[in-house]
Amino acid sequence: MSRRRAHEDDDSDSDDGRSRSKRHRTENIDIEERLEKLILKVGDKSSASLESNLEGLAAVLEHDIANYKTKIIRILCDVVIGYPDKMTVYTTLVGLLNAKNYTCGGEFIEILVRDLKDVLKACEFEKARYMILFLADLVNCHVVSASSLLSLYDNFIEVCLEDNIPQTRSDWYVHTVLYTLPWVGKELFLNKENEFNKLLVSIQSYLGKRSKTHLHALKVWSSDSPHVQEDRLDCMWAQIKHLQSNAWTERLIRRPYLAFESALQDALQHTLPNIIPPSHHEDALYPLPVVVFRMFDYTDVPDETTVLPGSHSIERFIIDEQLHLTLLLNQYERKDCAATLLMFKEEKIPLNYMIIETVFAQMFRLPNPPTVEIFYHSLILELCKLQPSTMPIVLVQATEMLFSRLDSMNTVCIERFVNWLSYHLSNFQFKWTWEDWSEVLKMDPMAPKAMFVRELLTKCLWLSYHKRIVEMCPDEFASILPAEPRPKFRYHAPDDEIETETMPELMYSLRLTKSIKAKCTPEDVLDFLKEIPNPLDDSVEHTHNPLAIDVFVQTLLNLGAKSFSHSFAAIAKFNKVFKELGSSDEGQQCILKSMYDLWSDHQQMMLVLVNKMMKTNLLSVSAVANWIFSEEMMRDFTRFYVWDTLHASIRKMNKQVNQLQLEVEEMKDKKEEAANKVNDGLDVDENVPTEDDIEALEEKLDTAQSDQKNLFLIIFQRFIMMLSNHIANSETHGQEVNTLWFKWALDRLRQVFLQHHSVVRQYNNTLETLMFTSDIDFHILTVFNEFQALRG
Amino acid sequence: LSNYRDQHFKGSRTQQEEKLKASTTLYVGNLSFYTTEEQIWELFSRGGDVKRIIMGLDKHKRTPCGFCFVEYYDRADAENCMRYVNGTRLDDRIVRTDWDAGFVEGRQ
Repeated sequence: MSRRRAHEDDDSDSDDGRSRSKRHRTENIDIEERLEKLILKVGDKSSASLESNLEGLAAVLEHDIANYKTKIIRILCDVVIGYPDKMTVYTTLVGLLNAKNYTCGGEFIEILVRDLKDVLKACEFEKARYMILFLADLVNCHVVSASSLLSLYDNFIEVCLEDNIPQTRSDWYVHTVLYTLPWVGKELFLNKENEFNKLLVSIQSYLGKRSKTHLHALKVWSSDSPHVQEDRLDCMWAQIKHLQSNAWTERLIRRPYLAFESALQDALQHTLPNIIPPSHHEDALYPLPVVVFRMFDYTDVPDETTVLPGSHSIERFIIDEQLHLTLLLNQYERKDCAATLLMFKEEKIPLNYMIIETVFAQMFRLPNPPTVEIFYHSLILELCKLQPSTMPIVLVQATEMLFSRLDSMNTVCIERFVNWLSYHLSNFQFKWTWEDWSEVLKMDPMAPKAMFVRELLTKCLWLSYHKRIVEMCPDEFASILPAEPRPKFRYHAPDDEIETETMPELMYSLRLTKSIKAKCTPEDVLDFLKEIPNPLDDSVEHTHNPLAIDVFVQTLLNLGAKSFSHSFAAIAKFNKVFKELGSSDEGQQCILKSMYDLWSDHQQMMLVLVNKMMKTNLLSVSAVANWIFSEEMMRDFTRFYVWDTLHASIRKMNKQVNQLQLEVEEMKDKKEEAANKVNDGLDVDENVPTEDDIEALEEKLDTAQSDQKNLFLIIFQRFIMMLSNHIANSETHGQEVNTLWFKWALDRLRQVFLQHHSVVRQYNNTLETLMFTSDIDFHILTVFNEFQALRG
Repeated sequence: LSNYRDQHFKGSRTQQEEKLKASTTLYVGNLSFYTTEEQIWELFSRGGDVKRIIMGLDKHKRTPCGFCFVEYYDRADAENCMRYVNGTRLDDRIVRTDWDAGFVEGRQ
């Protein structure tokens, strides 16, 4: 959710509980709104200088403090998390206010600290980081004393000494302290050198002891060539060391308070109260570790007048952070976002390169990007629009680089790369020098580059049409082009009718076609299907008839082959037949198999139909999962659409559980509310849920939760079986275990863990004791251990 | 909300506004007559799970005539497409999306 919006919502309560005459009240609200507008506007583009605006605003606020102190302080506390991009503007403002009115400064600190304690308790770590950074920068404005900030940091660093806590907890506290040092390091160094050094020593010793098991799971590239993919804390430490070696001086942070040195110098400082980090508890979720994304260095920038700051320079840190923040704050407005990014007028830095690196860093972030992928795709289009002569050149270079580094790229990232590039090319008439990639034609089709080009062409096909793909590619690409997406109908009737009569299956299909065209009912179809003899061994009872299913599914879907809508309409009309045929697991497997046989050349159709049938409960999520790992699907196992389908099934399940959870809570709230009303002697609305209602819903939730767990267990079981078989086979035949296929499969297993880590986490015990035990192969076990280390 | 309004909407202006704010359906315009449902599906799935697509058809010829409705399961997904897909290209044409108060049979 947008921080700005959150902050507006907060404001609406602040007028509650005031008892004044209505007229007086409206007047007050007018002034309050005016004050708020003034505060929010300062630091934006203006004809006057920032300094004079700040000075003017400080004077206005000083004047209004007598009557509107609470409101002013509230607004100032809210901008801390609402406008982190203007942090130093607001610290300066608070500094100026404090210089004029010491009590007011004190109250501001008191309330901000109270807010900070609340958000720490609520585990809202992103907000907490902005607040701590604000407090730190207030040291520069002579509002907070350096020594009290250091004692706060000492408390934070002590978290590293706690026993039995996840590393992510101590990481967050250390990261937050390090993060503020570009702003406040110099003041701490000048005022409290000894204590500050001690703090740095403790941090360094903590960093030396950290486990790095999680790193491999979060790296975009497994190889450290040409760029090391570092853990964020390690990288930041190197950058801070660089800052230290420059006597804590940098030249990129905008510091408006420097212009007011004389006014701020004599102000009295406040001491921060003692802030103790709330202790760890089971439900506390700390931010996941991050690996720093690097794709460029200075040699990649052809323009010699600009120099890309080195990976471990403090400049790289500051610019990267500003760009990341811009993306985060403008994620709902791609046009504003692109314009703001391009406005960074730092001298002599290759801005376009840094912007593209930042966009890709977020797009490829593991386990999940901070925003939906399509935001980054559309942002890149806007950047090209605003810089048509320079941006596309950087993008082409970046694309070539990503392509050349595909061999060690994480599969999930390759998938995102395909998604982005197909969309991007479709916005530029699919113009690309495809010949440059003809090396893939000679490769093993499972080699990452070959796989990438094939999947890219498939996605381009989905966004256009087959003829266009054929025309845009060089002729030599024929072998790698996606097939024309046509149905492969099994029951084509030959022209000769007599011949048809000798083939019973064809007759069934033909008759079914006729009755469907004559608008028969689902019941008619069911009756008809009963006539089809079951080819399965008739000595035992069977839950399903594979021939009847195949005739029905192929015939119906072939009739609806014209478009998705036609197929959906066909499935909806004969919903009852699908329900009946798929009443057993085996039946559902047969349905899926018949669909696949018809549509194996039209992967988008398969994806869409299977999704639709899951959503309408004609197929269960576990049936879909089992089908994906089935013998028939092995030839498509590495294709991307298969994994789209699997993750869609997981998402469907997760959503269902979340929804039921929400409903149960709502019901309980309603009941409680009604009970309170009764106690207060008030009338109760109708429709108060009863204990029975709640119980019934909770039962539903229980079932959904066990289905959800079951789904994950099936998936993991299947993975383990398949991977173990591969390993055993390779060993018996004396072959290499680490084949291309094996790498794909392991990455897909890792993906299930990572993308759904918060759900999978609940099953840790079961997984550890029943599935990922010490006797399975270490290749597989490693994936599980890395996953556990994420929150470790 | 933008200025496009369905002229055939039955009900008051306020009712229409209310419906638009809760809608999960987008009106998509400026499509090529040759653009297929499949292409629209792929583009609009990038914002989230699409529930159905209704192609706008010519009254007499029953052929696509440059617009469609895209319905999502969730409002948030539809919002993604308003933010990020609106104004970008499909089949080399810039697609325009707008909120729609929900599709009623016969509007295509």
